[in-house]
Amino acid sequence: MKHLLILISLSLSMQAFGQKDKKLSMSEVLENKKYYYSALNEYFMETYDKVLIKDDLKRLEDLLYFTGIELLEDYEPSLLQKYPTSSTRFILGRQALQKKNYKKALELFAMVHPDHRYYPEGKLLEAQVYDQQNNPKKRLESYEACQASATSHENSALSEKIKRYYRMVHEICLVNKARHHFKVEEYKESLEAYTKIPKKSYKWPYLLLEMAWVYYQMGDYNRTLGLLTTYKSPLLDTYFFPEAEYLAALSYFRLCLYEDSMTIVNQFYQVYRPRFQALEGVLRKNRKSNDYFYNLMFKPGDELKKHEKFVRSIIIRMKKQTRFSLDANAIYKINQEMRRINNNEKPVIKNMLLPHLAEVKENMTAKINYNAKTDVFQFLEQVPFLSSELFKLNLEIIARKKDLVYSNKKLIADRSRGDYSNVKRSKFEYFWTFQGAFWADELGDYSLGLKSNCQTVRQITEEKE
Amino acid sequence: MKILVYVLGLYLMQDAWGEEQQVIYQYKKYEKFDLGNLEVKGQLIAPGDISVRERERRRFELDLYSRKDFDSFIKKDVESLR
Repeated sequence: MKHLLILISLSLSMQAFGQKDKKLSMSEVLENKKYYYSALNEYFMETYDKVLIKDDLKRLEDLLYFTGIELLEDYEPSLLQKYPTSSTRFILGRQALQKKNYKKALELFAMVHPDHRYYPEGKLLEAQVYDQQNNPKKRLESYEACQASATSHENSALSEKIKRYYRMVHEICLVNKARHHFKVEEYKESLEAYTKIPKKSYKWPYLLLEMAWVYYQMGDYNRTLGLLTTYKSPLLDTYFFPEAEYLAALSYFRLCLYEDSMTIVNQFYQVYRPRFQALEGVLRKNRKSNDYFYNLMFKPGDELKKHEKFVRSIIIRMKKQTRFSLDANAIYKINQEMRRINNNEKPVIKNMLLPHLAEVKENMTAKINYNAKTDVFQFLEQVPFLSSELFKLNLEIIARKKDLVYSNKKLIADRSRGDYSNVKRSKFEYFWTFQGAFWADELGDYSLGLKSNCQTVRQITEEKE
Repeated sequence: MKILVYVLGLYLMQDAWGEEQQVIYQYKKYEKFDLGNLEVKGQLIAPGDISVRERERRRFELDLYSRKDFDSFIKKDVESLR
C-alpha cells in the first residue's frame, strides 16, 4: 500500500514536472531545465530498448557536448554500441585500444566524422594503434592528419578554452612526430619538430629533457648540459626530473669530466634519494585511500606548502593537465546541478535525481584520486631504476680512473674550462656569456662550452732524491 | 678328405705370407755434415732488439642506460588528455 502511494505521488509529480509540454520526454524536460547530467542518464533509460532515429542520436551528441564524454567510461560498452555517434565510437575505440584490440580500435576511429570535435584526438589514438602494430609510415600519417585537423578545429572554435584544447592536441601530435623521428634515429628532423613548440606551451618544460636526449644521441654533450641547466631556472623549479640528473651525469662522463659527473651522482645519493624514500613512506600509507590524493589536489596553496617539495611540484604539474581540468570541471558542474535541484525541485524529484548525481560525482572523485595516485607513484618508481643506473655510472668512473693510474696516465686537464670554440651552433645563433641570471627569452637555448677531456697524457712522476 | 685339403691350403697360405715379412730395411747409421763448408746465399744480419707495438688493452664498458625512444612519454601524454 505504501509503495503504491509513493508510485502514484511520483507519477503525479512527474506530470507536474513536465506539464508545460506533455509531449516532451523526461530527459527532454531535464535538458530544458539544463540538468544535463540527469538528462543524459534519463536519455539512456528511455532509448536503450528503442529503435533509434537520427534525432535521437543528435540529442545524445548535444547532451555529451555539455557533459563531456568522461561519464561514458562508466557505461557498458554493449550499451554504447547501440548508439552509432562519433562520440561513442571515439570512447569505444579508446576502450578497444586499452584492451589491445587494435583491429576494432582502428575500425572505430575510422568511423569518427572528420568534422567531429573528437576527430583530432581520434587520429592521435589511431597513431598509437599503428605504433603498437609497428607501422611507422601509417603512424606518421596519423600524426600529420591529427595536426592538420586540430589546427582547423582551433581556427573555427569560438571559446578560448576550446581553442586551447585543440592547441594542446596539435602540440602533442607534433611532439609525437618528433619522438617518432628520434626513435628511427632521424635526430635533425626530431629537433626541427621540437623547436616548433612555443616556449609558452604547457608542454615545453617537459620537452627540454627530450631535446637533451636528442643532442646526447647526436654527441653534442654541451648542448645536452645546457638544456638541462634550464631546469635550474627559478621559473622552472617545479619541474624536477630524476632522469635529467642522470643524463647530466652521463654527459659529463662522456666528456671525461669525471669529477663533475661524480658531484651529480653524490648529490643524488645524499640529497634526493633519502627525500624520495621518506616521501614514498608517507604516500604508501595512503595508497588504499579513495580520497587522499584527491584532497591533496584540491588543497589551497598555503596548505600544500607544508608538504614535501616534490609532492607540491607533482601536484602543481598534474593540475596543469587537460585531464584534470576536464574532470574537475565536471565535478564543479555536477555540484552546481545538485545545488539547483536541491533548491528548486520537489522532494520526489530530488529523491529521483540526486542519488544518481551523487554516484556520478563519487566516480569522478575516484577517477581524479586514481590518476593523481598513479602519477605520483610513476614518478617515484623512476627513482630506484635511475639510482641503480647512477651506481653503474659511478662504478664505470672508478674503473676509468683506476685504468689511468695503472697505465701511468692522466687526463689532459684536471677540469676543462669553457670556451666558445667548443660550442656547436648554426649560422642563425648568437651567443652571450651566462651572467648567473636566467632570462625568460633565453630559456632552453643554453649550451656549455666544455672541451672534451678524454685525451690522455703520460703522467710524469718525479723521483725524490 | 675334404678337411685335409683345407688344412693343406691354409698351411700353404701361411707359408707365402711369412715370405713377405722377411724384407729387412737398413738405414744409414752415421752421416757427417761439414757446416763450415756449407754456403747459404743472402745477407747476414745480427739479431737486434725484439720490439712489440704497444696496443691499448680493450676494456668493456658497463651497459649504461641510454634512451632510444620516448614510448612511455607518448602513452603518458595520451592519458593526460582524458
